Amino acid sequence: MKLKSYLYIILLLLFTACDRDKEIYIDLPAHTPQLVVECYLEPGQPFRLTVLESASYFASPDPPLVPDAKVFIMFKDQRVELTYKPGVNKLNNKFYTHTSSVLMTGEPGDIYTLEVTDNQGRKVTGTTTILPVVPIDTVEWRFSDDNEKAILITSFQDVASTANYYRYMANPYNLDTSPEQDEIHDDNLNNGKRISLNSSYEFNRNDTVVISLFNIEKQYYDFLNSAYSAKDANGNPFAQPTSIKSSVTGGIGIFTNLALDRKQIKLE
Amino acid sequence: MRFIPACTCWVLILLVLFTAPAYAQTFNVSGYIKDASESGPLVGATVAVHEQNSGTITDAEGFYTLSLPPGKHTLEASYLGYQNTSRTITITNTDKKVNLILDAATNELTEVQVEAFSARQKLNDTRMGVEFLASRDAKLLPALMGEVDLMKVLQLKPGVQSGTEGSSGLFVRGGSADQNLVLLDNALLYNPSHLLGFFSTFNSDAVKSVELYKGGFPAEFGGRLSSVVDVRLQEGNYDEVKVSGGLGLISSRLTVEGPVAKDKASFIFSGRRTYLDVFTRMINKMEADNADFNPIPDYYFYDLNGKLTYKINKRDELSVSSYYGHDSFGFNDEDFRFGFDWGNRIANISWQHKFNSHFYMRTSANTTSYQYNISNKIDSYSLGLSSSIRDVGFKTDFDLLLSKEHSLKFGAMATRHAFSVGRVTYDSDDDTQDYGGGSNYKATEFGTYISDDYQVNALLSFNYGMRFSGFNSSGKTYLALEPRASAKYSLNENLSVKASYASMMQYLHLVSNSGASMPTDIWFPSTKGTKPQRSQQTSAGVNYIFGHGKYLFSNELYYKWMHRQIDFKDGANLFINDNLENEFLFGKGESYGNEIYLEKLKGRTTGWIGYTLSWAYRQFEGINGGRRFPTSFDRRHDLSIVLLHKLNKRLHLTAAFVYGTGNAYSLPVARFAFQDIEGDAATIVPIYADRNSFRLASYHRLDLGAVLKLKPKHGESDLTFSVYNVYNRRNPYFVYFEQVRNSDRDETLGFRAKQVSLFPVVPSVTYNFKF
Repeated sequence: MKLKSYLYIILLLLFTACDRDKEIYIDLPAHTPQLVVECYLEPGQPFRLTVLESASYFASPDPPLVPDAKVFIMFKDQRVELTYKPGVNKLNNKFYTHTSSVLMTGEPGDIYTLEVTDNQGRKVTGTTTILPVVPIDTVEWRFSDDNEKAILITSFQDVASTANYYRYMANPYNLDTSPEQDEIHDDNLNNGKRISLNSSYEFNRNDTVVISLFNIEKQYYDFLNSAYSAKDANGNPFAQPTSIKSSVTGGIGIFTNLALDRKQIKLE
Repeated sequence: MRFIPACTCWVLILLVLFTAPAYAQTFNVSGYIKDASESGPLVGATVAVHEQNSGTITDAEGFYTLSLPPGKHTLEASYLGYQNTSRTITITNTDKKVNLILDAATNELTEVQVEAFSARQKLNDTRMGVEFLASRDAKLLPALMGEVDLMKVLQLKPGVQSGTEGSSGLFVRGGSADQNLVLLDNALLYNPSHLLGFFSTFNSDAVKSVELYKGGFPAEFGGRLSSVVDVRLQEGNYDEVKVSGGLGLISSRLTVEGPVAKDKASFIFSGRRTYLDVFTRMINKMEADNADFNPIPDYYFYDLNGKLTYKINKRDELSVSSYYGHDSFGFNDEDFRFGFDWGNRIANISWQHKFNSHFYMRTSANTTSYQYNISNKIDSYSLGLSSSIRDVGFKTDFDLLLSKEHSLKFGAMATRHAFSVGRVTYDSDDDTQDYGGGSNYKATEFGTYISDDYQVNALLSFNYGMRFSGFNSSGKTYLALEPRASAKYSLNENLSVKASYASMMQYLHLVSNSGASMPTDIWFPSTKGTKPQRSQQTSAGVNYIFGHGKYLFSNELYYKWMHRQIDFKDGANLFINDNLENEFLFGKGESYGNEIYLEKLKGRTTGWIGYTLSWAYRQFEGINGGRRFPTSFDRRHDLSIVLLHKLNKRLHLTAAFVYGTGNAYSLPVARFAFQDIEGDAATIVPIYADRNSFRLASYHRLDLGAVLKLKPKHGESDLTFSVYNVYNRRNPYFVYFEQVRNSDRDETLGFRAKQVSLFPVVPSVTYNFKF
């Protein structure tokens, strides 16, 4: 026991280093709020969109709503206005500010356009092209030596003729938390091949796992990448700060569609 | 690319040839300056003939040559920490060979002069912007965790910045860390650091001295823009076997040296290894049954240096030196294996031949490589990532003493580079999922040069030269002329003024956007799409000796332009990317500043004060909206105070204080809420302002040290004490913003800024021995 304590002291001496933080005051320059939009079109689902504003970092944490924002989604010869009616989608707990009863019925290749304006003269526009679903071929799992933990291997066929981008999620159903596995991939190294995505041993025996494979647009991939990098740079001294690559112009945010294949399995 | 007309080169060469007068009535006096106890040559020792106002310093082999008229002269040789030796010689009508041996005190500490150049040498040398450091002096200064690091001592010199806390990286006159030409016994070292840059790869027992050129680069050096770090390894003892070493807080060192054939051939082998992993493994073992315990990953590094020297005859000497360094980080359990290894390897063979006392040659062939490997295995799937650079090089240099006035240097080098960039493999044991990627490049780099050291008279001297360099890769060839010139004028015997100009090319680029020295940083060649980097630097300065030779004052001003600088697009994928060049951005840079240096050279208390006022900027079309921004190591004020006091024969006390303007830093100015696909996962995304538009708090720190000589029955030993960051200053390492949460009600109350510091007060003790 004495030796153990001694070793801990040595380690502590060497690594106390890493936990020395203190609160400081920083005077940030004034920030002009920009419109922030977030909208994912899903087949068969009504149009729903969130319009908020960016805020100075140390401003009040309350979400800055923009009730006067006018939102239109255009496709083919239709122009649908989404009305300001904040609510929560009970299916996924997602908050929205604007909605319409019109359902998304687009086919792969169809183009949808977004237009958001407000009384301050700000205008945000964006475009998305509906993508086809890439089906999940198989989901396999293997248990660890003690039979308690499992890895998942999800496979699907990449399309050779196009550059593809994927988002892959695996949610343990009985945990009701954010996805255990959430990754984005491009097909640069395996274009046209059968792609397998593995987890580590992070799922428990008897978990029910929902596996989602999204075929995503490059603009969504770039937006996610930049948002992850920007978040990573806040707190990682080795990361380079990144500006957000929005898919919309005139503001910040993402307007895209979700082409999703989903499977549910029970690990037994 | 802009070329200086080729005729300029020829004019220079012709100038040298035609201005070289016929041999006047002078004769050469040459020889070696050696250490009495180790018989090794002393690099940078001064040989002076005061009545002739003439002098020189020994070269990398400890060799000197002086031209003197017939008559009686007194040669005086001096070197830091050694007793001066003088010899009176009479020159009649022939050249003369005079070897001088300097005695180093063994059982007591010598007076310390960290400068190996004598003050007078620094005053009279045409070169400028040069710092010299001997390993034995660096060992006296306090060090982080007791690990003596020559790079960190160089950071105490004006014009040299350290980057971040504890880092051994050098940022010289506004240049970035990859713009340093780091040479280990003539061979290039690609990654000169261990453990994220906290320690340099140089074992202080194996290294004899380091010379750092900040500007006014001699024509023999090329390939990097901002500095030359010329590291020389120790030679083995020619008389007897000696063992030395040390036990420190995080590592131990052992060096064995001795004769292979007495006075003819010697060897030296030196090794160093950290042992934190020994403790972490013991802890892991003790906690093996504790389900809540997360095993601590293994980390260690070691390096090995070796050198064999063989004096074939009076004219020829052969030496073989090598370096092998390895860092390893690993984690193993039943289901998951992770390994991360990196390191440099160098082998160098060098032949020196003396044609006669006016003309000699050094030729070397070497191989050098740097690589990293990451391996990751889960169940039956494995992922491998690696990058490497491997060089085979050849270099030859000639020194020709044409006359008392003209001393020529010329030579050539060629290197074949092989790059493997971003090599990735993904395999499954059943071969159902095997794929990989990565790029291979080959390139050839060469350089040839000529320069003349022209001593116009006792007051005025010039050094001017031209380097012609080239690079070929992927069918694209770049050629460039790199003119170099410096001049010195002595206003009186204690005051000289100097000026210099140097143009430098850099054909290899470091792919790194981390701002720290990461093992995954990899080098990339100039190609058709990636042009070589280029810099031009001018500097001017004054040197002044006063107080009966006790003090040296110098002040240098510099301005540096950097062209075709490389940075990376926002969010660039530099890790696994077959089209890495698509992520590059090209821009320019400039830096300027003033370096003031005051050194006390003699007495029981010695030391120096260095102050730098400087600016360093970069500008890229794709960054910061095309506006100029300061580099993160742009430091307006940088102050170092180093004191060494000899209390008595056995005890030396040292102190080092540093102050620097806070690093330029990027911070978010705004944020937005991002819900993502799942509403539960809403997060805050920061919006960054202009690059490096904030300043961290200023950096300051005091280190204290003491060296106590012990009295063992055999040999020598000492205890070296260091206290790093004595007053426990919480220097900023980085700043981040965080949410203030009320976890009970799961709500965000606000946001605040936090500053993270790295090293608190760190005491350490090291036991060193030699027998």
